[in-house]
Amino acid sequence: MLKNRVKELRARYGFTQSDLGKQVDVTRQTIAFIEKGEFSPSITLSLKLAKALQTNVNDLFWLEEDENHEK
Amino acid sequence: MKNDFRMQYPLWMMGFIVTLGMFLFGVSSPTTHIVNTETEQSILVELGPIAGLFAVGSVILYFLMMIVFYTQLKRHNKKNPAEKISIFPIRPPEYLEQDEGMTHITRKASQKVYTFMSWSLPLLAVFAMFSPFSRIYTVFVILLIALIQYVIYYVEIRTHFKEEDE
Repeated sequence: MLKNRVKELRARYGFTQSDLGKQVDVTRQTIAFIEKGEFSPSITLSLKLAKALQTNVNDLFWLEEDENHEK
Repeated sequence: MKNDFRMQYPLWMMGFIVTLGMFLFGVSSPTTHIVNTETEQSILVELGPIAGLFAVGSVILYFLMMIVFYTQLKRHNKKNPAEKISIFPIRPPEYLEQDEGMTHITRKASQKVYTFMSWSLPLLAVFAMFSPFSRIYTVFVILLIALIQYVIYYVEIRTHFKEEDE
């Protein structure tokens, strides 16, 4: 399963789900789905999210079995 | 999102199907006497009080629902000029496909409905072929399948929109 730090970084920058959604051109609901792990975004959307949250895709998303992932 | 007309659309369809079922129950219950001789041709239909209530009541209810449904539809179209819904849409308006996240949820719900239909339709065909019951029961089962497919779709979509936190 794909894990992510979207919620954590979004909170750090003080964005609401709507704010972040507008930045990456998706609905607020899609941001919520990603945060809850209900949906794995495409490479394009992952890159857009990483850019908006000032990080890289590797730090933003990782596989659950990858225990060595450093936040 | 919960108040989005496109999400409520399956509920409306469920309501119309149930009303249609009530009408069917009403009109399938009467006793019919047909006289067809060389000198006389007549049909006598006796409708009991409960069956009559279902038959007439469901028609009234159907029209009332149509009025409210049409009003809601107009309101949605006024609020969302870019996403207008036709009164008789060919493509189901409950498909939420604004972006890849919404498309993913719609796809999951559609897959569940497709799986249900791929099982239920052959079973319905067998039921219709070998059922000792009258044709009216086959129509009831068709309505039941139509109802269940909307329930499956709605429940799946609703699950994802349960927690709408910011």
